[in-house]
Amino acid sequence: MNIAHHEMSFWRRYIFSTDHKVIGFQYLITGLIMAAIGGYLAYVFRYNLAFPAESIPLFGSLGPKEYNAFITSHGAIMIFWVAMPLLLAALGNLLIPTMIGTDDMAFPTLNMLSYWFFFLSAIVLLLSFFVPSGPFDGGWTLYPPLSADAYINTEPDIWKSFMTGGTLIILALALEFVSMLMGGINFLVTTINKRAKGMTLLKMPIVVWFINFAVIDFMFSVGPIIAGAFMLLLDRVAGTGFFDAYRGGDPVLFQHMFWFFGHPEVYVLLFPSLGVIAEVISTFSRKALFGYKFIIKASLIAIVLSVVVWAHHQFIAGIDPRMATFFSIGTILISIPFAGIMLSYIATLWGGNIQLKVPMMWALGFIAIFLVGGLTGLYLGSDTFDIYVHDTSFVVAHFHYTLFPITFFGFFAAFYYWFPKFTGRMYNTVLAKIHFWFTFIFFQGFAFPIFFLGLDGQHRRINDYSAFDSLMSSWHISFRQFATISAIILILSQFIFLFNLLKSLRSGKKSEENPWKANTLEWQTTSPPPHGNFVKYPQVYRDPYDYGNPDMKEDYLPQNKVI
Amino acid sequence: MKQILPENISTYGGEVDSLFFTITLFVVLAFAISIAALIIPLFRYRYKEGRKSSRVRGIGMKQMRWVFAGMLVMALCDFYMLYAEHSTWVKMEETLPEQEDFHVVITGRQWNWIFTYPGPDNKLYTADDVIVNRMNSSLHVPAGKNIIIDIKAIDVIHSVFFKNIRLKQDAIPGRTITRWFNVTKPGKYEIACAEICGVLHSKMRSYLVVQEEDEFNRFLSELYAEKQK
Amino acid sequence: MNRTITVRPGLRDIPQGRLGMWLLIAGELVIFGAAVVSYLLMRIRYPEWGEQAQYTSTALGALNTFVLLTSSFFVVKAHKASLAKDSKNVVRFLSLTLLCGLIFLIVKGIEYSTEISHGFTLRSPGLVDSGQGVASLFWMYYYLMTGLHGLHVLAGMIAIFVVMLQVRKGKYFHRVELAGMYWHMVDLIWIFLFPLLYILK
Repeated sequence: MNIAHHEMSFWRRYIFSTDHKVIGFQYLITGLIMAAIGGYLAYVFRYNLAFPAESIPLFGSLGPKEYNAFITSHGAIMIFWVAMPLLLAALGNLLIPTMIGTDDMAFPTLNMLSYWFFFLSAIVLLLSFFVPSGPFDGGWTLYPPLSADAYINTEPDIWKSFMTGGTLIILALALEFVSMLMGGINFLVTTINKRAKGMTLLKMPIVVWFINFAVIDFMFSVGPIIAGAFMLLLDRVAGTGFFDAYRGGDPVLFQHMFWFFGHPEVYVLLFPSLGVIAEVISTFSRKALFGYKFIIKASLIAIVLSVVVWAHHQFIAGIDPRMATFFSIGTILISIPFAGIMLSYIATLWGGNIQLKVPMMWALGFIAIFLVGGLTGLYLGSDTFDIYVHDTSFVVAHFHYTLFPITFFGFFAAFYYWFPKFTGRMYNTVLAKIHFWFTFIFFQGFAFPIFFLGLDGQHRRINDYSAFDSLMSSWHISFRQFATISAIILILSQFIFLFNLLKSLRSGKKSEENPWKANTLEWQTTSPPPHGNFVKYPQVYRDPYDYGNPDMKEDYLPQNKVI
Repeated sequence: MKQILPENISTYGGEVDSLFFTITLFVVLAFAISIAALIIPLFRYRYKEGRKSSRVRGIGMKQMRWVFAGMLVMALCDFYMLYAEHSTWVKMEETLPEQEDFHVVITGRQWNWIFTYPGPDNKLYTADDVIVNRMNSSLHVPAGKNIIIDIKAIDVIHSVFFKNIRLKQDAIPGRTITRWFNVTKPGKYEIACAEICGVLHSKMRSYLVVQEEDEFNRFLSELYAEKQK
Repeated sequence: MNRTITVRPGLRDIPQGRLGMWLLIAGELVIFGAAVVSYLLMRIRYPEWGEQAQYTSTALGALNTFVLLTSSFFVVKAHKASLAKDSKNVVRFLSLTLLCGLIFLIVKGIEYSTEISHGFTLRSPGLVDSGQGVASLFWMYYYLMTGLHGLHVLAGMIAIFVVMLQVRKGKYFHRVELAGMYWHMVDLIWIFLFPLLYILK
């Protein structure tokens, strides 16, 4: 083959690339940059919460409007511009083709397009920090009428109402959804169509299943929020009143549209992360994943349930109380399949041959933290108790206990697991372990006190509690300060990760092809995989978890190995 | 020793609190068992060179029994919880008490609560209603009476939060949502807005003043007299 | 970069493009489904919308339905021609489809301008109490749904136009089918919108 034919310009190769690995890295880098921005915002408003009226180092003083804008942007950025690209897009792009044994995505150009839509959405969002009105300040859930901004409707200048934080965040969300839809279609088609020879559906690694489950859940729940965002946009710039009660519209309608998507969205993020944890646990237990088929069935049940539980976010929003009972039952029921999945993961450990390597530590940390997050969901799923803790810090602690392990523990487990594969270099394991312990401990220090503040009735999204004497006692203040200081250390300890990442990229030890002795296909090619991933396309003979086979000398048996 | 939940002053709040302790029992138990099941194998099955792991893959009922048992326990806890909470839910949200002692309207606006008391005719939504509309105002209610509240909003969504009553309800523009409570202990308690409603959301605080009946009647007559002027 | 490919990975039987298009259509239907469901919920809540629906022109709507159905027929013909790699006929039938799409948009434009001249605009203000506000909400939904559909017609026309240019050069015959599937979806959505907005009075 003519080598010159493959010479591509820098732009074609690294910027407007159609190669799934490059696109995966683009998503990853964008996601990490956005995570830094989201973390910085968190630092600013957490500092303000703990030490109100003090000037914030590296920022200055924070007014109530900026406070609201920062918590809004933090939420939106962390979910849509960090968790989505890191877990769904980056992992999907890097893992699906390599794990199912193919050269690239089904539609490489669409894949590139989806990244650039995503990039554009991030730019549009960040633009909102530089418009006169500042970023949107009504909470990331965008509830109208606050987000429909009645006084902006009276503004005759459409351009002016366009260049406001609220309009920009809606546009950015819409662009992001379009991007993820394109990416998602690509993932599904790739998985259905391009599997290697012999790779039947039930021989796919669980993470490929789970990324596709996430995509399916996303595709079938995102429609309402796209329609809702369109309506909200019209409300803001064209003066319609879809959500304006004074013109017959209904503000609660938007909440339904938002949460119909918003709840499955949690599972969209959870599934890729759970898939990563499954791979890591099985590899480092040197044992087959426990209950492979059961896990797939349980997840399917969870997906079906996930689209009928959305109104548990609205127990106090004036929905019919009898309807709330129905949603409460659905919400509580969803704990059962997830309990099954978690127990299967734990059962994988029993009888294994456990290596506590870095990715395994993150995976075990994920399970430990996620257990707390999942179990505290019971308080919120119970409609009666939810009346009390709704919109309090209890909810904040709960979703940090779920979304933080999902986003960061899941991502870091994946990162430390596949880093040697996709960069061809090994990281410093000591630094990686320090990074783990700092993140694990200071995350608890940050989020656990917030449960107690919430149970004491501290409501959310308040920049200054001084108006509430009952929330200003000395223990309240010291809990808030403890949480903030932990959060700051948590953020600072991510610099260990950054340092480790940059140093390993420059001068890390060269990694072997299969450093963890894993079975799945991506480990059976060079590190990093060549353009096209495999020199010779693999033929698959067995399921991906054949560890500890007594007939073999080694304790692992790659999927494509001919016996 | 500080209590985990703030002081409860309503008749149904005790049920919410006991629900909290029931759920906490389940949660702590489930967490302890799962975390033990997670940590024990880390010691028992630590890596040994040359050892092969077990080939149990979770196929069939027999191998899956522990997982199913865990799910069953989870399901039982869930259903017990749903069963235990339902009567409280019906009491708090689905029904109103038969006897209605006092009816008042709470309206949210940016950024204070407006309290509308019935006038001397003791009927709401008539011309002689007394409207208290200023920041940091108080809602006065008699102790030991069934109080019905109509919750409304003028501009954006607010959420009225009586933490000592364990009651919270969003106030939605265009809707009137009716809830009730019965408070037993006289005193002054905070009312917060729990749904982000704009710049001064943090300052949207009122007080719930619970008074004995004669004291409350005195307050009402003062209110009427003030309106006359 | 040296790369030698020995075998293609095992492609399954389903043509890639068709599968992707089905998934795209599924996603689109959920978006329209959300709009239709919220319209229906509101319609049940406000029976007085029936009065407003009197002002939509059933005749023009029916004409548009007929135009779209005809265009779908042409797309089917184009698909048949594409299977025979008959680029001349493909171009002919796709142009006819485009013509139908154009007629649809022109008729829609005539409808919009009559309605706007009657004062039914996106932002007709009003209050709940006078009943007029509820009326204006009907027109918001009307413009939302037909507008969103109109944008899809436009997108479909652009897609068909691009495919037509490619087929004229004798390339990518299989894309006729994909553009046709999308066009059928646009048609199908209209079949739902027409009774909801024009006939239900």
